[in-house]
Amino acid sequence: MSSDKTSRYADRGGSRSDEAPGSTGDSSAADAGRRGFLRAGVLAAAGLVLGRPLLAAPGVASNVRGGGARHAGGAMPATAGPDDEMIDAVRLLLKAKFGDRQVQTGHVQLDIPTDAPDGRAVPAILDIDLPITGSSYVAAYYLLVDHNPDICLATYHLTPASGEGPIETRIKMRRTSYVRAIAEMNTGEVWSAATKVFVGLNGCG
Amino acid sequence: MPSTHPALTFSLAGTPSAIGEAKILLPLSVARDAVIDVRALLVHPMDTGFFRDAEGNPIPAYFVNAVTIAYGGEQVARFEWTSGISRDPFVRFPLRASREAPVQITWKDNKGGVYQQSVDLKFA
Repeated sequence: MSSDKTSRYADRGGSRSDEAPGSTGDSSAADAGRRGFLRAGVLAAAGLVLGRPLLAAPGVASNVRGGGARHAGGAMPATAGPDDEMIDAVRLLLKAKFGDRQVQTGHVQLDIPTDAPDGRAVPAILDIDLPITGSSYVAAYYLLVDHNPDICLATYHLTPASGEGPIETRIKMRRTSYVRAIAEMNTGEVWSAATKVFVGLNGCG
Repeated sequence: MPSTHPALTFSLAGTPSAIGEAKILLPLSVARDAVIDVRALLVHPMDTGFFRDAEGNPIPAYFVNAVTIAYGGEQVARFEWTSGISRDPFVRFPLRASREAPVQITWKDNKGGVYQQSVDLKFA
């Protein structure tokens, strides 16, 4: 889904991390002799060359790092994420829908492009990776777009007769914002996933 | 290169074009108790009410807000939509094929329009 985006952020995070050893190497070398400075320079250069493969080597880990580095490494606060960028209207809506139940992150998969040039039709696929049985199933999927006129733009009530499988639809988006997929289990658990979608053309008017 | 896309059964020949025309697609071969993907498309403008026409007059909101799925006369799913769903709303959803029975989908819009389409699910 977001392999392009992930790799882009992984690259960005990686290059930032690469700069860090280089700069510290220079500053520590400033009070050392010329020979020490050269040695530090060589080490820093080696770090620049080796840094990227070393950081990027474990494939899954680097993806996870990429997501984290995007928030932790830059000027953004370490806590910035889907929950922190949630606007009050969404908080109120979640409070009204789920009351005191915790909306937990995980298990839900939201497959949606991160770049939507045309906000009039953005394909979205909702799925869940929990086992679906007669006694534990998804009672409802909710699809939320933070900055749309109607925040909760679709609700899908399902039953055990539906079985397990994805729900696919196409939605309109007014502008760049988080899209949130929320699955309410019949047991009362609430799981969610969020993706930021960059929108070109306003699809809502 | 031959297409590997599975053949599908249609509930309507040709392409829907007028408001309210609908199409349901099922996989051609369905095994008993398999979970299948049902795809449905309705022709509807899904106007949000925020746009204006060429003369500057507002286009009133006109959209599907309720969808019900009946399988053999029994409701198995229910969707609540707003105008945030795209024009000509398409939906794909899972269904457990427990018996040979018709799958009927009913769309209702905010101006009282009711549109129905059904397709017979057969095991093959």
